[in-house]
Amino acid sequence: MADESSLIRSARFRQEREHDWRRLEHLVAKAEGRGVQSLRFSESRDLASLYRQATTSLAIAREISLDKALLAYLEALAARAYLCVYAPQERLGGLVLRFFTSSAPQAMRRCAAFILAGFACMGLGVLVGYLLYLENSEWFYVFMPPGLAGDRGPDASTEYLRSVIYDSDPDHSGLGAFASLLFSHNTRIAIFVFGLGVFACAPAILLTFYNGLAIGAFYAVHVERGLGWDLGGWLSIHGVTELSAICIACGGGIRLGFAVLFPGQSTRREALRLAGRDAVKVALVAALMLLAAALLEGFARQLVQDMTTRYIVGWGIGALWLSWFLFGGRRRR
Amino acid sequence: MSTAALSRKERRAAKRAARHAAAKQVLPPEGVPLELPIASLGVRLGAQIADILITTAAALALLLLMGILGLLGVYSFMGLGMLLFFLIRVPYYVIAELIWNGQTLGKKLMKIKVVSHSGGPLTAHSLVLRNLMKEAEIFLPGQLLVSLQSVDPLTGWISVAWVTMALAIPLSNPYRQRLGDMLAGTHVVHLPVPILLKDLARENPRPSAAETPAFSFLPHQLDHYGAFELQTLEALLRAQDRIADTSAHRRNQATVVSIVEKIRRKIGYADVVKPEEAVAFLGAFYNAQRAYLEQRQIFGERREDKHYGVGPNDT
Repeated sequence: MADESSLIRSARFRQEREHDWRRLEHLVAKAEGRGVQSLRFSESRDLASLYRQATTSLAIAREISLDKALLAYLEALAARAYLCVYAPQERLGGLVLRFFTSSAPQAMRRCAAFILAGFACMGLGVLVGYLLYLENSEWFYVFMPPGLAGDRGPDASTEYLRSVIYDSDPDHSGLGAFASLLFSHNTRIAIFVFGLGVFACAPAILLTFYNGLAIGAFYAVHVERGLGWDLGGWLSIHGVTELSAICIACGGGIRLGFAVLFPGQSTRREALRLAGRDAVKVALVAALMLLAAALLEGFARQLVQDMTTRYIVGWGIGALWLSWFLFGGRRRR
Repeated sequence: MSTAALSRKERRAAKRAARHAAAKQVLPPEGVPLELPIASLGVRLGAQIADILITTAAALALLLLMGILGLLGVYSFMGLGMLLFFLIRVPYYVIAELIWNGQTLGKKLMKIKVVSHSGGPLTAHSLVLRNLMKEAEIFLPGQLLVSLQSVDPLTGWISVAWVTMALAIPLSNPYRQRLGDMLAGTHVVHLPVPILLKDLARENPRPSAAETPAFSFLPHQLDHYGAFELQTLEALLRAQDRIADTSAHRRNQATVVSIVEKIRRKIGYADVVKPEEAVAFLGAFYNAQRAYLEQRQIFGERREDKHYGVGPNDT
């Protein structure tokens, strides 16, 4: 249409590069549609180099061109290509494998102090709840969320309590419903405990402590009737995993709150971001443990009726978790 | 007193506008800042609703399947339903955003995307974090409100306050970040659409030395306008192709003629321009003006608009 010499400088600039931009546009559309993996070797090589050329063109065009359409186009093209080029490259499988074999246990070890603090909160709560109940049984109604314990309060008969602990038909006794309710309750507690940790630790600590109080009082009800060991078995088959999960979630929450309280040299937001790296892995571990606990609760508790076996299964699984945290992801020397 | 207050308000507004403009920019490792407009809360809410519908449908389908297969007791139905919904939801967001590079299906629908705040690639860590926080921020207290009628008023009000706060946080920062976005170092942007319009300067090329140009402009005639006026003229010229029916055409003709008259008077262009040549005149003027302004720009003189030479105190 027009030969080179008759064009003004910015139009010549565009004419020389337009072909490359079009090709980049085509590659970006392909990569977005079917994923970067679908590109051939030459195409992905071109994508990277054409993207860099396009950013250079954009930088130059901002200086020499007043063509608004061209600027808008280059701006959008470079942004789209940027999002394509800097997409996460890792495959999902590799990511999951890395989480289990190294990053999760390493994060757990780095947060060990906070997680121990979480366990201390829960333990203290249990102790206080237990002692307070022995002092006055009315405390039970203060601590226990209504509806969670069902009829299993201080007024229930010993036979009833025993029958709930050893019962193999979940649907008739309502234990199946109770189990799923308890699971969703504890999951919610774990998530709140983690998320609320951001607010200077206090809500996480209080909530864990309160949860401990409820367990302590519940335990004391059974100890009073001489069912302490039996309830221990009933609880430990899934509780070792489940309550540990809550304590670990609390540890993650405390880790976040700690970063807010004591950010050190960086800003609070930056400190929170850094703390989040470990805290989120800890939270994922807690979620995984809750899932495992739900499976144990749904199946193993009704299947295993013997007290000793319940103890062995519960604490054995607890030991497996612990060994994962302690020995997973250590580099061989 | 009132002028001082006004100017303070104006200054604050200007500062806010500057912050919002800065928020649009992402600096990739190449060092050329790119503009990615921040997605508004309404659009994100739309995407979120689409995602909720998708996950709910999936959970219901699974529940129905289990019911048909007879795996469900009547008692555990409700608890299991909530559990299933929860178990589908969290991995859905994380995996979708991992696979589709920061887009769930709802986000694809609304053409928005999660990007990293620092300009680097999105990491699995940040995606997990922002979606886990979404649970604690919105879903769980929201679910508490919706699902449990027997919830006591105190818990109800706490949940309401919590959700309100979680929704208010994005309004308080220019990036529209949720709490989870802040932790993860991400924000949500609109996907820009690259459309290359034709080059107006190529439509009306500079005449070569041999032929006599229809319109020619002297340098002092091109000193009156800046980039803003040039780009307004560009928009007008681009709109010429889109005029279809005759009445719109007539109105457009009148506008173009009056614009030509204004420009002629402003730059002191002596020759009369015939109405049928008005568009051609504007094209030629656009070309000459752009060539001139770009030349000035290369020499280091950026003319933003026609007031470029006038300082704030000269008026």
